[in-house]
Amino acid sequence: MIGQLPFTATPRYNFPTEYQNLQLPHNFIELSLRSMRKLDGECLVPAAISLSDSVESHPSLYAPSPSNYESQSLRSIPLKPSQQPATIIAIDVSNIKLGETDSGLLIAIRAAVVWMRNRQYRYLRLGPFPFHITEQNKQKICHLFRAHNFQTSPNSQITPKLTDTHNRISNLLECWLQMNISTRSQDSIVLWDGSLTAGTPDNPMQFLSKLLETARNRLNRILAFAKTTTLRIGNQVLTDLTTETPSPCLIQVKSIPLNPSTPLRFLGNIYVTRFARSNCSFRLDIDKNLPIEEGIAAVEQLLGNDMLYQGYPETLRLAHIYSTFTASEVIGIQRFIAQTHGLRIIMRPNLRRLLFGPFGKGVDA
Amino acid sequence: MKLYKKEGNTVQVLGFPTEEIEKGEYLLVEDPKRCRSLVLQVIDIQFANIPGILEELLRNSTDDRNIYGENFDPIEVAPHITYIQDARMLVCKIRGTLQNGEPSLSSAWLPSRSQSHIRKLSTTSLLANAKVNSSRPINLGEARDSSSITIDAHLLDGKLNIVTGKKETGKSHISKLLVLSLIDYGAPVVVLDLNGEYTNLGLSRTGEKTEYYKKVCILCPGENFKVTLAQTNLRVVLNILFHALDLPGTSAREFRRIWKSLKEQDALTMRRLGESIRNRQCNLHVRDALNSRYYSLVNSGFFTDNQEEAISLKESFKALQDGGALIINLRNTSTIDRQIVVEFILSKLIELLTQWRLRAVFLFAEEAHLYLRETYWDDIVTRMRHFGVFTTFVTNQPSTIRENIYRQADNIFLFNFTNEHDLEAVSRAARVDAETVKSIAHDLHPHHCLVLGRVVRDYPVVVKVRALDVQTMGQTRLFFTDQN
Repeated sequence: MIGQLPFTATPRYNFPTEYQNLQLPHNFIELSLRSMRKLDGECLVPAAISLSDSVESHPSLYAPSPSNYESQSLRSIPLKPSQQPATIIAIDVSNIKLGETDSGLLIAIRAAVVWMRNRQYRYLRLGPFPFHITEQNKQKICHLFRAHNFQTSPNSQITPKLTDTHNRISNLLECWLQMNISTRSQDSIVLWDGSLTAGTPDNPMQFLSKLLETARNRLNRILAFAKTTTLRIGNQVLTDLTTETPSPCLIQVKSIPLNPSTPLRFLGNIYVTRFARSNCSFRLDIDKNLPIEEGIAAVEQLLGNDMLYQGYPETLRLAHIYSTFTASEVIGIQRFIAQTHGLRIIMRPNLRRLLFGPFGKGVDA
Repeated sequence: MKLYKKEGNTVQVLGFPTEEIEKGEYLLVEDPKRCRSLVLQVIDIQFANIPGILEELLRNSTDDRNIYGENFDPIEVAPHITYIQDARMLVCKIRGTLQNGEPSLSSAWLPSRSQSHIRKLSTTSLLANAKVNSSRPINLGEARDSSSITIDAHLLDGKLNIVTGKKETGKSHISKLLVLSLIDYGAPVVVLDLNGEYTNLGLSRTGEKTEYYKKVCILCPGENFKVTLAQTNLRVVLNILFHALDLPGTSAREFRRIWKSLKEQDALTMRRLGESIRNRQCNLHVRDALNSRYYSLVNSGFFTDNQEEAISLKESFKALQDGGALIINLRNTSTIDRQIVVEFILSKLIELLTQWRLRAVFLFAEEAHLYLRETYWDDIVTRMRHFGVFTTFVTNQPSTIRENIYRQADNIFLFNFTNEHDLEAVSRAARVDAETVKSIAHDLHPHHCLVLGRVVRDYPVVVKVRALDVQTMGQTRLFFTDQN
């Protein structure tokens, strides 16, 4: 990259045509605006800003807790990067708590989609979308949004706790984007941040299955990368597994038994990636209904087309970077809300800091 | 704008992109509860230290490569984020307090951070508040806010001034402006003109005679400026011999005897002086020393025995009584001759002032280190001021002016300097803090000048010096003349 001289004409910004119309439903924008309409005159206690607060919507948050895992047979699969051209698409969503109002929580959500084709990256950032979540509107927000995406009955859903709502909303946005991308793209490698575990409140079995089916029908291959996982083989965390096979390679976890009482289901074959010599490995889920060879070929195509940073695909890394909130953005969004919705920003004494001084936790310390 | 921090005399004010502020401008921090206002001057503008800005820049830096993208921001939050990211920190110096319209240099109080209102203070209001009266106004030019900046000629009277800045920034221009303005008020001015820049002061740009034509007298040593020995007293000649020609003490004593003898005979002429030295029965070395100095005086062409060639400085000054300038053109004069002429002029000035033949004189000395002897610096600053010689030093080498001169300077007209050593030298001036000088002078545009001192009541002000309809002579002669 460094060696390239900028002698070529400035490339015109040009998204692949199938994504040009990728827009959020009006409902979502309206929802954001409507949720903040009743803010006038309320006080906002800003959240202490820490970049670690910018939460990705899912990774393996809903991964099943280990139950009766026993030593499983593992298979090492050496990989040969394939130069066959492919379009790689990555999706990521972040949310951050902006502060607390008299009646609820203020959050902001942003999504990023990054495309890679012919070694050129394009991105589309959606948002930020501020939301004011209160006990009164949280149900409405979740139901409206869920109904729009999953076509399920609003009454069938369990309303999350107020403090969890922001994760749920951003997860819903991510699902919506995943569905959109799966529908609009063809013969692409689609990278998700997280896993293909279904049966969580955010990833209902029915929806995730439909999503994967849609992708398969359009010849898309979904690869879900999770940076962390709670899955274990014996006493070992999945991502700590080692192999003699030189990198790049995959370690296939042939089966992980689940507790029969759990509603969770793995809709993907589970692998551990060893793409680089560094110690970084990730959990990789590939659609179970995709032939194993086809899934591995997709990984080889990914290796041959995308750059890797510490064994992590650059496209997905960019999607994460573009969706995450920086502290200055948080201040900017707080200012926007204060100005446009008459919110009064007040600072409350930090009790933790008062009580514990340097022995507080995180940003309080 | 919001008050952020105060440390010593420095106040940091948080500013936002919509507020157009430049270095050198003034802010008024009004504390409504105390009915007092703090006067601040912006000396530096920095980016505010916004949390997360590094991450933001790193993220956006990827756009420079082959990553292109689009932001879908239907709620239009982005301008607010940009607004925060472009916030700036204005580093200001406290210049004083305004209470009930009365200015004071006190800064022993602190306005409320949460309640104070900060607004820009125009230079006109500032100077009006500071009571910069203009009974004899000199229009220097305009401030950044286009308001006219006028100083009072009274505040140049009896004062020591310095005009300094690097080459081609407008030093001579402001000197000419001051000279002409002083002439307007009937003041006599003497200019020691090293490069002959003031010789056309009486002509307009088109070469026509102006109202000043008859008030400007150009004297070229050795040409239309010659004096007789009889006009010169012994002390002046001895000063020349000592300081300009390095005559040893023993020889000076012999010269004194020769001089007295010639004076008694009423024969103080160059010819007789030469004969006396040649025929003097004294030590051979002394005679040789006197002879060589005598020929230096002769070769300078400054002394003459022809009464008609000689001019009387007394008469010349008389002509300036209603205002005028005596320009001593030192352009074609050698170093030694320059010193001879300057010694003569200064001695004569003191003589005329001591005898009250002159009330006072404004002396403009360009690059004085090239002709002023060491001991004169202190003389000018202390003793000669009491006689009525009010000096303005003009130089592009500030380090050639001694530190005590800067400390005692009443007014400084400071143009751009980029070299830190130069700024260090100027920052020794007692009338302003070093930080202000270094920060503001570094970024001054040509023909923009930072005025410090009494003329602006110690409120440093940046002025764009107004144009003069005077033929410019200070321009550098160029070889390549086919430029646009």
